[in-house]
Amino acid sequence: MEPPESYGLETIGFESAEKIILRWDSTVSEEAREKMIFEGDRCEVDRYLQAVDEIQRSISSTTISDDDQTKVNSAVQIAMARLEDEFRNILLVHIHAFDIDSLLADLGSSSRTTTGGENSDFLEDDHLEQEEETPTAAAASAFGDGGRSGDLLKHSESSTSAVSSYRSTSSIREIDLIPYETIEDLKSIAERMIAAGYLRECIQVYGSVRKSAVDLNFKRLGVEKLSIGDIQRLEWDALETKIRRWIRAAKVCVRILFASEKKLCEQIFDGVGTAIDDACFMETVKGPAIQLFNFAEAISISRRSPEKLFKILDLHDALVELLPDIEVVFDSKSSDSIRVQAAEILSRLAEAARGILSEFENAVLREPSRVAVPGGTIHPLTRYVMNYISLISDYKQTLIDLIMSKPSTGSRYSGDPSTPDMDFTELEGKTPLALHLIWIIVILQFNLEGKSKHYKDTSLAHLFMMNNVHYIVQKVKGSPELREMIGDDYLKKLTGKFRQAATSYQRATWVKVLYCLRDEGLHVSGGFSSGVSKSALRERFKSFNAMFEEVHRTEATWFIPDSQLREELRISISEKLIPAYRSFLGRFRSHIESGKHPENYIKYSVEDLETAVLDFFEGYSVSQHLRRRSQ
Amino acid sequence: MRAPEYQGSFLGRISIRRNQVMSMEGNHDQELEDLELFQRHIADRFADLLSPQLQTLSEESPSSTAADPLLSISWLRKLLDVFLCCEAEFKAMLIMGRDPSQITKPPLDRLIPEMLDRAVKALDICNAVTNGIETVRHCQKLAEIAVTALDQKPFGDGQVKRAKKALSSLMMAMVGEDKEGSNYSRSWSFGRRSGGAAANHKDRGHLHLRSHTWSISKNWSAAKQIQAMTANLQAPRGGEASGLPSPVYIMSTVIAFVMWTMVAAIPCQERNGLGMHFPVPKQLVWAQSMIALHEKIGEEWKKKEKKGSVGLLDEMQRLERSAQSLIEFADSFQFPAEEERVEEVASQVAEVAETCQKMADGLVPLQLQLREVFHRIVRSRTEILDVLDSTGKVSAPII
Repeated sequence: MEPPESYGLETIGFESAEKIILRWDSTVSEEAREKMIFEGDRCEVDRYLQAVDEIQRSISSTTISDDDQTKVNSAVQIAMARLEDEFRNILLVHIHAFDIDSLLADLGSSSRTTTGGENSDFLEDDHLEQEEETPTAAAASAFGDGGRSGDLLKHSESSTSAVSSYRSTSSIREIDLIPYETIEDLKSIAERMIAAGYLRECIQVYGSVRKSAVDLNFKRLGVEKLSIGDIQRLEWDALETKIRRWIRAAKVCVRILFASEKKLCEQIFDGVGTAIDDACFMETVKGPAIQLFNFAEAISISRRSPEKLFKILDLHDALVELLPDIEVVFDSKSSDSIRVQAAEILSRLAEAARGILSEFENAVLREPSRVAVPGGTIHPLTRYVMNYISLISDYKQTLIDLIMSKPSTGSRYSGDPSTPDMDFTELEGKTPLALHLIWIIVILQFNLEGKSKHYKDTSLAHLFMMNNVHYIVQKVKGSPELREMIGDDYLKKLTGKFRQAATSYQRATWVKVLYCLRDEGLHVSGGFSSGVSKSALRERFKSFNAMFEEVHRTEATWFIPDSQLREELRISISEKLIPAYRSFLGRFRSHIESGKHPENYIKYSVEDLETAVLDFFEGYSVSQHLRRRSQ
Repeated sequence: MRAPEYQGSFLGRISIRRNQVMSMEGNHDQELEDLELFQRHIADRFADLLSPQLQTLSEESPSSTAADPLLSISWLRKLLDVFLCCEAEFKAMLIMGRDPSQITKPPLDRLIPEMLDRAVKALDICNAVTNGIETVRHCQKLAEIAVTALDQKPFGDGQVKRAKKALSSLMMAMVGEDKEGSNYSRSWSFGRRSGGAAANHKDRGHLHLRSHTWSISKNWSAAKQIQAMTANLQAPRGGEASGLPSPVYIMSTVIAFVMWTMVAAIPCQERNGLGMHFPVPKQLVWAQSMIALHEKIGEEWKKKEKKGSVGLLDEMQRLERSAQSLIEFADSFQFPAEEERVEEVASQVAEVAETCQKMADGLVPLQLQLREVFHRIVRSRTEILDVLDSTGKVSAPII
């Protein structure tokens, strides 16, 4: 190509402009096919753009004949086809994958500020090129021009500081997808295409290339394409991992990826025409955004089951956090549908959380296991439910907002003997969430009471209730949030309940044992200087021995897992048993010892009983217990 | 339109239902009456969908002014309306005022989970079709470029070339759909470049430049989803035909038919083998119109399937025909154009413009309506699951 003589003139005239256009007509010239204008000499770029402007001017000129009009139109078409190719090529050269990890680190460390200069830690991570070129060369070509990287950094500083002035509270972090000077090139092409009425072409080229860039980064982020059917079929464990990954990816997508695409559109198309930047932005990200949100949507409509609650809440919280950013990034009328979808998913997740909670209540009420846990210890259901509601209290902040209605106690189950009654009037002022937690504890106890009936021994049934309600109390006390929500009043009730169970146990087991140690019936009636009926006394001792032995044997296999509770109950037993036995022994020992084989009747010393009580509620296996006794 | 009429009676029935104290068995007559009404509504609604296109289909004239030609955007919107009506009525029959235990008894303990499974498949199809509408919109944009170019008089080389480029992309978008997503990125204005920047970046070849990709997993197939929706569809027989299995069957048939039609009309991922076996016994009165529609659309599908068509959407078919003849015109174009040709082209351009206008007006509402269908299916599924959960008797795994 020869250097044109007329370079530098204000106007170059239609003839020479047409010549320049035709020289770059790639349907004709081999050389034009081989080279890109914008990759070569800047002078040639300017010359070409000027030629395009000249042609444009001749269109609006009124003094032009029909014949000339056709010539001009043809030149415009050739120029626009060329510019379209140039536009595409520049965009293509600047498709880069993000370094996701460093971006994530950024999002994590300074999530509330829009930062300036360190935008450069968005490195054009160009694996693709490193295979062929040295990394530095790759980096240089990634900026389109070896000498411009410095400018890029400088620019990113100035541009983002402008941004931070009005988005300082947002977590949005725009990065420069394309260096500043290249944007100027793109802008100068776009302006001319749009002026010539080639807006649609421009939008389509732009959208198709940038969408590939978004797709590339989607792959990097692990944004998967899963159908709703796929997601419904996946194991929950696998989904939990995917949810975690999705939350991470969604943050990067909304705050960095989409936000930066939007900024790029604004940079290139701002001031060129109304809403063109927006059209380009939507052309680029609409599909990807829908793909991204489809996952959360699929989760929000998945089958409800208790184990899903907390991940659903995580997802909900992540979306709540993202929503303001989504509203900023997708603020235009044409991105309505994306904002709406995000809001819909959010409300579905909220609904799912509510549904799961009521589902959980149902499940607690109906949990059907009939096998009594051996030794009256804590039922697995109690552990599960209490751990579950402790976790709920970890999500208190979210759930207080989501749970707006009281538990459906009366209406849903009314007149049904298979559900407990509960009066909420004395719990005025509590949040619906707190009422739900209390209600869950109520139905848990109700279910446990049903289960306690499966014990043949009523003492053991009481011990079982005591253990389980005590466990509930301990769990509530162990979590400040839970304790605050349940409230001291209800906690007092619960405490009273397990104490009552302890009392009932003692009554059921010990009244009959202690009954052996009463005075009545031992004295021979008749003579004033009455004596003691030896045979009756012997029977009393024998039956006491037998009963105690039986209780000892049985209740050593029972179990109170909480050592303090175990200790307290033993002390309480000793306090009743030991003084009664000591005094009985004191009053009647002589009568037995004066007869034959006293050891047959007085088997236990007071110390023996004291030691024996220590075996109670240890949860010995039967064989263990026998072995201990024979020692 | 009879719509308002049965809407009225339908609402009336709901309020009666609510106030009724339903005894377990004593409502069989009411049930039969409801079923009869439901079947009649289905028959009427689909007859309406079938009838208006009878006059238009025979006419080859593209300027036919008949309101809603079969498989046009406005016809599809009517179809979705019909679906929404049927769905609402069905849900009322199934759930309202009913003892939950009734829908967990055999054979419903099997039929309901199967229906819920169909619902999930329908949701994916809704998403795929919404996505496919973007392809249609893309074609619309390309056609608009051609209209813009050819609207300028006199025809010069420049305009014709510009139009041809857009139309070629349009044809590529139409042919290249299905398997890999529409590969309709605008082509280079010249052949493969051997030098320059592209060579340095040939490693980017894997990027598959296209402005549209399917947003669902790669192995997802619209045709397979439809097949799965109809695979276990069996008309209830004997005593079951007068009970709840009947509405469940009818609604399942409606949802399968509607989804099948949408997939046939709108570009969708993987439609090989879509020619659906529609297992509905011919003697069922309520299904007559649906069966007739199925046959008609099925025939059209058979004709177009081999050609790798973009789908049966009426507007797309029109664009395809016009684009072909306009490309022929462009290929043989020599300046100056003959007066006769110019007039011919002008009328074709006007038609394309009209079609584009229909697309511009109808596609967004169609997408919104699809979204509404999506919401409805989700809601019903959730409600039915709630009922099942409250009985605590679901044994079959439901996805």
